[in-house]
Amino acid sequence: QERPITGTVSDSQGMPIPGVNVTVKNAPNRGAQTDFDGNFTINAANNEVLVFSFVGLTRVERTVGTATVLNVTMQEDSESLDEVVVVGYGVQAKRDVTGSISQVKGDEIANLVTPSFEAQLAGRAAGVQVTTQSGIIGETPRFRIRGIASITSGTYPLIVVDGIPIYTGDLGGYASNNALGDINPTDIESIEILKDGSATAIYGSRAANGVVLITTKSGREGRMTINANTSVGFATPISKFDLLKTADFITISNEKRTNRNAATLWAAGTEFDTDWQDAVLNNSALQQDHNVSFSGGTSNTTYYLSLGYSNQESVARPNDMERYSFRSNIDQKIKDWLSVGVNAGLTRTEYNGLNTGTNSLSGNIFNATRQHPNVPIYNADHPSGYNIGYRGTDGNWLSENLVGPWDNLALIGDNLPNIMYAIENNNYYSKINRIISNVYADVKPIAGVNFRTQVSVDQANTSGFLYWSPVHGDGQSTNGRVQNNNTDLTRWNWQNILSYNNTFADAHTVGLTLINEFQKQRNQSFFATGTDLSDTFFNKNLISNSYGIPGSGGGLTENGFISYAGRFNYNYANRYYLQATLRRDGLSSLPEANRFGTFPGVSVGWTVSEEAFMDGVDAVNDFKIRGSYGKVGNVSIGNYPYLGLYGAAKYGDANGIGYAQFGNNNLRWETSTKYDVGFDLRMFNNRFTFNFDYFLNETDDLILDLETPMSLGIPNNSYSANIGAIKNSGVELAAEARIIQTQDFTWNLNANISFVDNEVVSLVNGQDRIAANNFTITREGEPINTLYGFRYWGVNPANGNPVYYKADGSLVQGMLPGGTYTTFDAANPAAAGTAASLSAAADRTLLGQTLPKYFGGLSSSMAYKGFDFGFLFRFSGGNKIFNATRRDLLNMNFTNNSTEILGRWQSVENPGDGWTPRLYWGTNTTTNLSSSAYSRFVEDADFIKLDNITLGYTLPSDISQRMGMSKFRVYAQAQNVWIITDYSGADPEMEIAGVDLNLTPRSSIVSFGLNIGL
Amino acid sequence: CTEENVLELEPFNQVSEDAAFSTPALIELSLTGMYNAAQRGDYVGQGRGYPFGAASIQQGDNRGEDVVNTQTFYQLTYTGTYDPSTLNNVFMWSDTYRLINRANIVIQGVNTAIENGVITQEVGDDYLGQAKFMRAIAHLELISHFAKPYETSGSNSNLGIPYREIPFTTEANIEAGIAQGRNTVHEVYTKIIADLDEAEGLLKTKAERGGTLGIVRATMEAAIAYKTRAYLHMREWQKVITEGEKILGDYSLTADPNDVFENGYNNSESIFSMENTANNNPGVNAALGSQYNRRALVVISPIVWRNEFWLPNDLRRSEDLVSMRSGIPHTNKYKDDVNYSDATPLMRYAEVLLNVAEAYARLDRLAEALDLLNEVRDRSLPAGAASYSAFGSKEDLLRAIIAERRIEFVMEGKRWQDIHRLQVDTFVDYDGVPAKVANGFPPASAYTLGTPYSGPYGVEAIPYSDFRFLWPIPQQEMNNNPNMVQNPGWE
Repeated sequence: QERPITGTVSDSQGMPIPGVNVTVKNAPNRGAQTDFDGNFTINAANNEVLVFSFVGLTRVERTVGTATVLNVTMQEDSESLDEVVVVGYGVQAKRDVTGSISQVKGDEIANLVTPSFEAQLAGRAAGVQVTTQSGIIGETPRFRIRGIASITSGTYPLIVVDGIPIYTGDLGGYASNNALGDINPTDIESIEILKDGSATAIYGSRAANGVVLITTKSGREGRMTINANTSVGFATPISKFDLLKTADFITISNEKRTNRNAATLWAAGTEFDTDWQDAVLNNSALQQDHNVSFSGGTSNTTYYLSLGYSNQESVARPNDMERYSFRSNIDQKIKDWLSVGVNAGLTRTEYNGLNTGTNSLSGNIFNATRQHPNVPIYNADHPSGYNIGYRGTDGNWLSENLVGPWDNLALIGDNLPNIMYAIENNNYYSKINRIISNVYADVKPIAGVNFRTQVSVDQANTSGFLYWSPVHGDGQSTNGRVQNNNTDLTRWNWQNILSYNNTFADAHTVGLTLINEFQKQRNQSFFATGTDLSDTFFNKNLISNSYGIPGSGGGLTENGFISYAGRFNYNYANRYYLQATLRRDGLSSLPEANRFGTFPGVSVGWTVSEEAFMDGVDAVNDFKIRGSYGKVGNVSIGNYPYLGLYGAAKYGDANGIGYAQFGNNNLRWETSTKYDVGFDLRMFNNRFTFNFDYFLNETDDLILDLETPMSLGIPNNSYSANIGAIKNSGVELAAEARIIQTQDFTWNLNANISFVDNEVVSLVNGQDRIAANNFTITREGEPINTLYGFRYWGVNPANGNPVYYKADGSLVQGMLPGGTYTTFDAANPAAAGTAASLSAAADRTLLGQTLPKYFGGLSSSMAYKGFDFGFLFRFSGGNKIFNATRRDLLNMNFTNNSTEILGRWQSVENPGDGWTPRLYWGTNTTTNLSSSAYSRFVEDADFIKLDNITLGYTLPSDISQRMGMSKFRVYAQAQNVWIITDYSGADPEMEIAGVDLNLTPRSSIVSFGLNIGL
Repeated sequence: CTEENVLELEPFNQVSEDAAFSTPALIELSLTGMYNAAQRGDYVGQGRGYPFGAASIQQGDNRGEDVVNTQTFYQLTYTGTYDPSTLNNVFMWSDTYRLINRANIVIQGVNTAIENGVITQEVGDDYLGQAKFMRAIAHLELISHFAKPYETSGSNSNLGIPYREIPFTTEANIEAGIAQGRNTVHEVYTKIIADLDEAEGLLKTKAERGGTLGIVRATMEAAIAYKTRAYLHMREWQKVITEGEKILGDYSLTADPNDVFENGYNNSESIFSMENTANNNPGVNAALGSQYNRRALVVISPIVWRNEFWLPNDLRRSEDLVSMRSGIPHTNKYKDDVNYSDATPLMRYAEVLLNVAEAYARLDRLAEALDLLNEVRDRSLPAGAASYSAFGSKEDLLRAIIAERRIEFVMEGKRWQDIHRLQVDTFVDYDGVPAKVANGFPPASAYTLGTPYSGPYGVEAIPYSDFRFLWPIPQQEMNNNPNMVQNPGWE
């Protein structure tokens, strides 16, 4: 007999949940919803079963029994079948998705200390590679989805925040900064990564590198929830270079001289043993992050408001970042058929930077690793207070742009200034005001139809400042320098989306989305400079009349596109799926004839588990096979790549214009064709999930710089043309297991691994492209940026000369002091060889691919009563790195070296490690072959890292409630703390295009935090 | 939101090529832009003074033995350890052709503009003269680095460099340019002379240009002066004299050898210099005032410092022109070590005098040669010092002239072209690049005057027969130009 049953539904933290559907199993006409306070009333009989369901929470079934009050706790379910996934211009139920989309929930990364959220995506999603290449806060991590889809155009994915395609990369000023750093990670609800052709085709011309959709949090109907999070931590460099201390430094430096029979020695004086690395790095960089958010709503209005403050010091002095963020997401229902809303994110992000030039005299690591350990940093005797220059016999200071030699007998090599002067006196900053905001209206004229119009803007206004002191370092040569600049980036976007969804005859579900989109951006900047400063006093801004030579400049670019797109979805009985999309984009960056491009995508899915013949297979809850195809484009090709242009070109102070770009009226889209097949499997009551994808992305009509012979004098010796093709293929596997699920103890494991194979299919005339640094090559049939150089044999045990292989396998030795080669006979090393050569054109060979062949992650989360414990391991491998830092540290000039140099050849009796040649000053080009890559410094980059590990404790809810809180959690965590690798450098992720050169070490962070709910 | 305002966007920062020669003002800007390519150039996206803003001087000096490279900056050039991808030689090639292409664009654009009546024939002629002048001197600079010297004997069919005479703004012209291959040394010099002859007829004179422009822009006199240099390379001694005599007396040496540097933009001696200003110069990594003066990356070598022809009290050793720092002579020719506004001296009257002096001597007109040599040398002699009287032989006189060039033009980048052209001579015992002092600051004791420097040398000589005597054609060129032949030994 039916009777009223009442109760309250709350979440795992004890918060009531409004809007939960409560139904009686097998009696669909008797339904109810929980009210504002989570209460419900429903009529049911004792033997009936109540079903509680809510998006994002695990469905709960309860037999009524004799109770009249039934309180239910619903657990959050990140893999709920009913869960929705954000797709382009809409959402879809996860089970209906036939494209390849990875989802990362905001709370997975919410408490991690990070300058920008995407850095924490590494290892969390199959096919997604995010690499933080240095410890500099503000440098944009490398972000790749399924390999590298272009050679010279952009390779960064399209980032869309709440439907707003935002600016990415550096936003201007004089300190490195990252456009994604303006998004407070705490505000993120979920991150969807669209990977295959079908999922990305709706973004058409912008999707070649994949699309990342970020959804910020929104309010839910119910009473106000206040969440406060705070964390404080300290960062330290993950590792430092093993440099010579004073005693060894003196031995090695003087041996460089005596081996060359130089009249005077170099190094003397043991008064100091200065650790210059320690001086430029910060061993306890403070990192703090504080957030508070307010969310809630009524039946007509929901809101999410948040404030955030973050201040992160970097391990590199004086680099840091300070961010103030504010977000207001509000939805207002005006009529049943009309609602409006706004998502507004406002941030102020300030970065202090420094010179990190990997080949700059005042580059922090370049310089600090070369400084003499036997001299002090400071010298009270010098007017500046720093150890700078030396007193000549007449008492005047000399060589004041070099670090002081102290007791050494010669000035430092490589013209190095005292780096600490630059670190402590020069100034670089970027201060960014950013608005990422949209306003929209949703209209539902008839059932099943929705029309949305959304106007959005991404506006970044950056002011930058640079000051180089006239006293010493970079600014000394111009008697100081001040620069201010302003960069104003504005992107308007207007989208109109008409969608229709309906189900016919209980089986045919049809969806149609029509989209029209306009976008226009205008980027403008100007700068002013002053050199020849009147005094170091004027070091905070350009101050009128405080400098001798003024300068100024600026520029303005625009681009825009117009698009029309449609998406059609059909499924029959949740069993057979079809999705087709078509987008037509017109882009201002292409010549009129080729301006519009059409980008189709299609995918199909078959949910095998819904078939009758699977009914008996209880172990399988869901099994879907998918396949997709899509064609997308790349708009990161510059603003006017097809025009022949003349740019400003002054001679002396006279204005002029000069030929600046060769025009190509045949330029057209770069198109990427993407194929994907895969399956999704859930088993054993949804406790095990397994996803598999095979993908193939073929990019054709690559826009490459078609190199023209230098002797034609064409600007940049190249022009843009559609030549070339590149292919990425691979396999992605992702698995999740809820290993233990009891009341008190839960343990989930997540793992993913991806294998990506990159191949350059065709290039201009089949011609190799050698990188500007001369270390890597892009060659048909090989992965992009493959290491390219000479093969090293070792050291001639008879005389300490370096020995190399020629292409034919024969050996030649570099004759010190250099410039010439003779043949070498390993059986008779002492024999004088005959004249030979080592040819850059003929004797270089491939030394290994720089792209990882595989990468992935393994994460675990455990909860026992109030305790939670989680970690993430990440791994990558199959690639090689050219360790150019290591080579730099074996410099033959009068600079410090790494301890590796102690293995040098000294004599026939004492031949050292067989790998490090004889010391000989001034012979870097021969001893260390400094203009090429070669196998002596090529190393395996395989690694496994413990990316983060967290231990937390949440007070039982009855205790926290007594304290007036709904939640109180305290946690400790460590990030980037442990690495297993054979790589000898600081970190195998510290490479740019396969080359490790003088980057600031990444940081390890230990932090403590609190999460409080009110 | 219409296609017109979203898609049909024109650049704001640059002028479309359809418009570049459409008005007299834009044409004048393009002409200035040609000089920009000479003054600033492009070095991996930066202006580093390639080829004539500073780099031609630095490369010309560092290939020779009269300077010492103290740091790693010019080490590859200094020690001859470059290869086909070494940036210093690559950008000399790339930037010089970039300048040549701008000159050819000006020639084509100006000719069209004259035809269309946009500018007058008279204005156009001066523009054409300037473009042809720059085209000629650019090729002249390149050929001494990348090709063998001009030989008067034999077929003289040694490979030169491509002499570019069409603008590369269309794909059709690119194909024609690639088809061209390398001209012979003989062809290149013939074309240089043809361009300079034409420029002489078209260009305004120094007086017509007036003031600084008479020095920093091409003039009729500059074209003639460059012909004395080109004919000297071609060993056409009589023609050196014929050209030189056209302008002998039109210029005069400054009273003090420092004045031509102190007042680089306003003096009686400079024939052609590149203009650098505080706002627009080759920068800290190239400007002469930075590299040679403030940063002391290159100093005067004991080899020339102790040259027996250089008198101890010669004014060219005075504090105005040389600063002794820790006993090591640094040039002081480039004064502005903060704002780098020194002119880059490319052609001085002193060179014309010595060019003609050498030609006279070669033709056994020794008295006339001696007069001109003394004119240059006497300016720098202290009061009471004697001029040269007659030399014992023609060879002795020639050796004195060559020595005078090294002393007068030390740190002005002229050493390499002399080393290069003198390889085919017999009166001087030149075989390739002479041995040099080791890279780094030499000890002060190495500069003690009294005896010629006799070592130690740290950089071995490179014989003329050695492939390293010539720079390799850049690898980029070899990769992209199927008709380009690499210099032997660099393949």
